[in-house]
Amino acid sequence: MNAETTTNAVHCSAIRKSFGSGETRTEVLRGIDFTASRGEMTFLVGPSGCGKTTLISIIAGLLTADEGHVSLFGEDLSALSPREQILFRRRNLGFVFQQYNLLPSLTAAENAAVPLLAAGMNRKTAVARASEMLDQLGLGHRVSAMPRVLSGGQQQRVALARALVHEPRLIVCDEPTAALDHKSGESVMNLLATSAVHPDRAVLVVTHDNRVFHFAHQIAHMDDGVITHVEQQALNSRLQSSPS
Amino acid sequence: MIPIAISMLRHDGPKFMALVLAVALAAFLTQNQASILSAFLGMTGSQIRDVREANLWVMEPDTECFDQAKPLKQTAVQTIRGFSGIEWAVPVVKVDTNARTEAGKLSTVTLLGVPEDSRVGEPRMKLGDASAIYRRDGAVIDPGGFSLLFPGQTFKSGMKVRIHDEWLTLHGISDAAPPFTGFPVMHVSQTTAMRLNRAEARATTFVVGRMLPNADQQAITAAIRRETGWKAMTRTEFENASYDYYAAQGVPNLFYITIAIGFVVGIAFTGQTFLMFVKENARAFTTLKVLGVTHGQLGRMMAAQAGLVVFMGLGIGTALAVGVTEAAKLMPFLRALYIPWEVALACGGVIAAVTFLAAGFAFNKVLKLQPADVFRS
Repeated sequence: MNAETTTNAVHCSAIRKSFGSGETRTEVLRGIDFTASRGEMTFLVGPSGCGKTTLISIIAGLLTADEGHVSLFGEDLSALSPREQILFRRRNLGFVFQQYNLLPSLTAAENAAVPLLAAGMNRKTAVARASEMLDQLGLGHRVSAMPRVLSGGQQQRVALARALVHEPRLIVCDEPTAALDHKSGESVMNLLATSAVHPDRAVLVVTHDNRVFHFAHQIAHMDDGVITHVEQQALNSRLQSSPS
Repeated sequence: MIPIAISMLRHDGPKFMALVLAVALAAFLTQNQASILSAFLGMTGSQIRDVREANLWVMEPDTECFDQAKPLKQTAVQTIRGFSGIEWAVPVVKVDTNARTEAGKLSTVTLLGVPEDSRVGEPRMKLGDASAIYRRDGAVIDPGGFSLLFPGQTFKSGMKVRIHDEWLTLHGISDAAPPFTGFPVMHVSQTTAMRLNRAEARATTFVVGRMLPNADQQAITAAIRRETGWKAMTRTEFENASYDYYAAQGVPNLFYITIAIGFVVGIAFTGQTFLMFVKENARAFTTLKVLGVTHGQLGRMMAAQAGLVVFMGLGIGTALAVGVTEAAKLMPFLRALYIPWEVALACGGVIAAVTFLAAGFAFNKVLKLQPADVFRS
């Protein structure tokens, strides 16, 4: 399949994954078929332990499925060598984590610049581009701040800048609002919806925060290692166009 | 990514400090002990080097080093002068005996007799005039020896030292190199030395000489050995023989143990601290892996961290070692102490290797971090 022509950003078929062996073997994913499209924000929702995180780990190339097939933008991840997978991830994926995962020793701008620096960009240029991204996300006045002096919402916005700065084609978010209060969570999701969603990009969000479900174009419900059903929904009118 | 690596390390202040101090301690211990050892072993040739004019040393075949010498008959001087290629040859009388000051301070001293006619081996002076040793009771003493016999006192010409039943008058402080034995070194005339060498008054300890320029030194020493049965060596060979004699006595092993401890402390501390650093920064390293930082980049980051630790630790440790050495040199007996550049280079090289090895162990842990663990809270 041609990577540029496929409309699917993520395509998973018959994914199986288990951990442990013998009597302790636990099958976490039991035949997952899943698709996420470009230009959409797709939510993976379900109770704790249902396999959401394992599935996004496989989609992001951080874990290998026991069985099944994953392709991102038409590229079969299993056909890539470990080093090619890292480079593919660096080019095409951005990540937002529940605990932000900012490097405490770096400023906001330096944190946001990490993907560019990893790609070999000159430090000054990378930090300048990251500062611009932070400015777009409403943090232009905190580019030199260290993570410890930022609020949770601000740290998540830095993490969002880091996920977007290198213009990846897939943004993977793991519980991006779980550590935030409702207002901050709403603000971060607004930013995600307005800044990350792009015709050539897909956003995949793992969450069980039903207060933010209205941001999704598609919601895949998981339970006990399978996707039970998928909802399509029109973009909610409550989306705001500018960051708060 | 290198500046990020440096920021990560510097941000973790306690571990950064522990790493730098561990390397500094290892650098200090190894350089300090290695320099003391090399200085001490270097002292084994002090009195040989002090006879600057001579490049030939002849002695009894049982003699193994300068401090452990059996006497030769005085006629040996004439015998050596008779060999082809010898410019001149003179006796050197060395006497180890007891000396007592007027205050009752007692010490074994090494008396070196300087021939009145040739003045070969006459010491350079720090204070006073060397020609005073040719007086019947004249003598000069080295700085360490003076401190030992006259603790806390300032030198004044006319201070006296008694050997057997004779009082020698000190007329100056020589610049004689500190001896390995630590005994005071007193230069007197050859006549005085022989007079005070009661057991072997008609003997000389060594015959020293000078071989003609362009002469085949190995052929001359071989001829002396063959025809007399005595030992004959060039100055360098005798220095090396004295060095080897003491090096084989076991004392250096104590220094080797301390040096080894320094290296073990270095590798244990830095290795353990690097591992703790990786463990406590596992989330950061895992995040970097997820964001697409390659193993090669991570390796270079850890190498940069190790490099900074080596640079700072080695700098502090070396500065400390130099400081202690310079302070120790203020003591007369330790004034020969110095850090040879070879020792500094070797210690620095080994410590750098040890630190990078420790960082390598820690890097192995980084390689084993599972990127998927980044999603764990």
